Amino acid sequence: MLFNSLQYLVFLPTVFLLFWLTPHRFRVPLLLVASYVFYMSWRPIYGILIFGLTLANFLLVPFIEKATVNKKLILGITVAVNLVVLGIFKYAYFTMDAVKTGLGFAGIDWKEPHLHIILPLGISFFVFEFIHYAVEVYRGKPVVKNFLDFALFPSFFPTQIAGPIKRYQDFVPQLHIPVKFKWEYVDEGMQLILMGLAKKVLIADNLALVVQAGFAHPEQFSSLDMWMITYAFAFQIFFDFAGYTDIARGSSLLFGYKVPINFNLPYIASNVADFWRRWHISLSTWLRDYLFIPLGGSRGGKWLTYRNLFITMALGGLWHGAAFHYLAWGAYQGLVLILHREYEAAMQKIGVHEKLLKSKVYHWASVVFTFHVVCIGWVFFRADDMKIAGQVLSKLFEAPTALLHFSAAQLAVLQIRDPIIFPALVLILPVLMASTFIINWLNDKKFYQSPPWAVQVTVMVALMCLLTIFTPDSSPRFIYFQF
Amino acid sequence: MGILRSKFFISVVLFAAVSSLFAMTRLGNIAPTDFPIRTWTGWAVDDFLSDKQGRPQVVFMGSSLVLVPVAGVDADYLKHPIDGSRHHQSQYFEDQFKRKSGMQVKTFNFGLPGEMPSDAYLITKFLLKGEKRPDVIVYGVGPRDFMDSLLPSPAATDPYQYLSRFGDVTSHRHLIAPEWDQRLNFELAQFVYPYGHKFDMSVTSERTIASILNKLLPAPKTDKPFTITDRRTLFPYYKQMEIASNEAFFRPTTPETRTFDNANLNEYKKRYARLNWRTFTHQMKFLADLMNTARERGTQVILISMPITDVNRVLLEKGTWDSYKKSLKVLAQSKDATFIDLGDSKQFAISDFMDTVHLHSGGGMKLLDIVAAQAAKDRRVMSALDATNSSIAGLKGGQL
Repeated sequence: MLFNSLQYLVFLPTVFLLFWLTPHRFRVPLLLVASYVFYMSWRPIYGILIFGLTLANFLLVPFIEKATVNKKLILGITVAVNLVVLGIFKYAYFTMDAVKTGLGFAGIDWKEPHLHIILPLGISFFVFEFIHYAVEVYRGKPVVKNFLDFALFPSFFPTQIAGPIKRYQDFVPQLHIPVKFKWEYVDEGMQLILMGLAKKVLIADNLALVVQAGFAHPEQFSSLDMWMITYAFAFQIFFDFAGYTDIARGSSLLFGYKVPINFNLPYIASNVADFWRRWHISLSTWLRDYLFIPLGGSRGGKWLTYRNLFITMALGGLWHGAAFHYLAWGAYQGLVLILHREYEAAMQKIGVHEKLLKSKVYHWASVVFTFHVVCIGWVFFRADDMKIAGQVLSKLFEAPTALLHFSAAQLAVLQIRDPIIFPALVLILPVLMASTFIINWLNDKKFYQSPPWAVQVTVMVALMCLLTIFTPDSSPRFIYFQF
Repeated sequence: MGILRSKFFISVVLFAAVSSLFAMTRLGNIAPTDFPIRTWTGWAVDDFLSDKQGRPQVVFMGSSLVLVPVAGVDADYLKHPIDGSRHHQSQYFEDQFKRKSGMQVKTFNFGLPGEMPSDAYLITKFLLKGEKRPDVIVYGVGPRDFMDSLLPSPAATDPYQYLSRFGDVTSHRHLIAPEWDQRLNFELAQFVYPYGHKFDMSVTSERTIASILNKLLPAPKTDKPFTITDRRTLFPYYKQMEIASNEAFFRPTTPETRTFDNANLNEYKKRYARLNWRTFTHQMKFLADLMNTARERGTQVILISMPITDVNRVLLEKGTWDSYKKSLKVLAQSKDATFIDLGDSKQFAISDFMDTVHLHSGGGMKLLDIVAAQAAKDRRVMSALDATNSSIAGLKGGQL
C-alpha cells in the first residue's frame, strides 16, 4: 500500500477513527493489526518474515541483558541473525555476481543457482531497528517486556517501509501514555501529510521525468544540461524522501505519536560533515552509533578514524542497494568526509580558519561548493551502473569548456518543449534552491514553526486543490522504498 | 479545541467551497473533442466528427482484430501505404459491397487498438447518433475483448479515457468501476469537481505554463530540432499511446511478403490467465447495451465472432470458448442482430494470420468478402441501408 494511493486514503482514516474510539489498552493491538494489514497488502507471505524476526529478537535480546558472561557473543549472534536475513534477501544476487566475476577472472565458469528472491519492503529499515535495540540493551538499556509493544516498534505502519529509523527508547514509552484526542494532532498531522504529498507528487515526480531521461541517455545532453539534470536529481531525491518522511511523521502524529525528523535543510550545509548532520538524520546517527563508534570511532588516532569513517560510509552506501554504484557513492562520501577533515586541519594550521569561517562570503561559497560536492556524489547514487556514472561524470567535468563557448543552443533542456518540465527547469531549479534559503530564514525568524492561522489554512486549501488536480492516476513509488 | 477551530476542518470546508466555485465557473474545462494527446482514438474521433466525413452508412468497430485487417486490406487494394491516423474507411468493403448488392455505401473504420465492448458502447452511445448515425454497425469481437485479465477495469483503456468525456457514464458506474477502490475513485470524481476534471484542469494549466515559457524562454534556433522520435528515445513511457501523423502506416503486402509470427502467444497466456467471469459478464452487458442503443436508433448490428488461430484458442480455459460463443449467439438472436460466426471457421487457415489472432491483409480480404456477401444477403441489413429509409437527427422515417 502506497502513501500516495487511494487505498491509503481509506486505510488511514479508518485506523485513525478506530484508534480514537478504542480504549487505550487496546490501541497497541489495534495498531499492530493495522500495521500487519498494511505490510501484508503487498505480499502476505512477508508478514511471516517480519513477525519471525520480531519474535527472534524478542526472545534473543533478553539473554543479552541477563548474561554475565559471553554477553558480546549473544549480541553477536543476535546481530548476525538480523544481518543474515538482510543478506539473504538483499545481497544474495550481488554476492553471487561478485563471486561469479571473481571466479571468471580465475578462469572458472561457475553456474550460479537460480534464485527467485524478491526484496521485502522495508527490510533494511526494520533490521536496523532490531540491531539498534540489541546494541542498546547490550549497553545497559532495559528490554521491552511486552511483546505487543515490541512487535509494534518495527512494524508501525507509518515508518515501516522507509523509516525514519526509530529508537525504541523514544518510541515504546509513547505507547504507554494514555493520550487523549486533540484536534492539534489532526491539524499538524494533516499539514505534514499534505506537505509530504506535495513534495512527492508536485515536485519529485515531475523532476523524475528529467532525471530518468538524462541518466538513461547522457549522450543526448550537453555538459550544462547534465549539471541541471544532476541538480534536478538532488532535488528529486530530497523532495521524494522528505515527502515520504513528512507523510510518515504526519500519519504518526494523527495517533499522537512522534517519530524523529530525517531532514534539516540539507542543501544549506556548509560542508559535507554538516550535510550528513542534515541528510537522512535517522540513518546517519544510526551509522554513527552502531557502526562508526563500535569500529573505534575517533578514538584511535587520525588514520584509524579515517579508516572507520570510510568503512562506515562505504557500508552505508551498500545499505542503500546491493550494487557497486551504491558502494561507490558511500566510498565517495567517506572520501570527501576525510578530505573535509584534512582541509579543516590544514586551515587550522594556517591560522586563518576562524576569520574565514565567520565571513559571510566564505560561508555561502562553502554552501555552494558543498552542494556541488554532494551533487557529484548523487551521480553514483542515481546511475544504473558504474558505466553510466562514468559517462555522466565525464560530461559534468566538461563544464568549464562548455561555459567558455556557451550558447543557449547547447541546452537540450530548452529544445525539448514536451514535457514542459524541461525548459521549466531553468526557472524551477533556482526557485527550489531559493526556497531552501527562504525556509532557513523563516526558521530563524521562528515563523516557519508556527505561521499565522490564516497562512496555514490558505496553504492547506491550496495544497488540497493542487493535489486533487495534479496527482496522476499512478505515481511512481518513493525512491527509498527500494532500499 | 473543538472541531470548528480545527485548521484542517476549516481547510476542508474552504476546499469544498473552492471546488464548488470551480464547478460553477467550469474552470479549466476543455472540449471533449480537444485531444491533448493524439492517440488512435483521438485521430478516429476527430476524423469521424469532421464535416468531410459526412454520415457513414456502415461503421466498423472492434479492437486491432478489426483495425489491422481492414486498414491492411486497403493498403493492398489501393496499392499505397495507408496512414493509420488519417485513413478511416474501407474502400475495399465499399467496392465489394457494391458489387454484391448494387448499393454504394460510405464506411468508417472505428477499429481501435485495445477497444473493448465497453469502448464500443461509448462510441455507439455518444458518437453514432443524430446526423452521424450509421445504418449498420459491423462489430468484430474476439475472446480477449471479454476476458482480458491484464485489464483492471473498463476505465483503463485509452479509448475510454477520451470517449467517456463525451457524455454521462454514471448509469454504468457499477460496470465501469467494479472494485471498491475503482468505485471510490469514480464517485470522488463525480463528487469533487477538481478531481473529476483533473485531466482538463491539468491540461489547461500545462498549456498556460507552456505558453508563458515559450514567451519567456523560447526554444533556441538549431540545425537539429527535437523531434517526436527523439522524445520516444528519451522518454519511452511518456505519452506511450500517442501516434503522430505519418507515423503508423499500413503498407501494401503480397502473399510472398506476409509472414506468420506466434510471438504474441505469451502475451495472450497472461491475458487469458485467471479468467474473471465478472469481466466477462460486464463486457457482455456492454455489448448488449450497445445493441440496445443501436436498435433504438434503427441501426442494424452485424456481430462477427472474429477468426482466431487454434494455437491461440487452446490457451483459453476449458469451457470458456463455448461460453463465449454461446453468449454471442444468444445475444445476437435476442437483439435481432446479424451474427457471423467465424470464430472457428474452417474458411480461415493459419496462413491467413500475421500472428495468433490478427488476420493479415490477405485474411482481411477474405473476411471483408464474407461480410460483404452476408450483409448483401441479409434482409435486415439491406432494409437498414435502404436510402428511402433514411433518417433525420437519428430518427428513422417511421419514427418521424
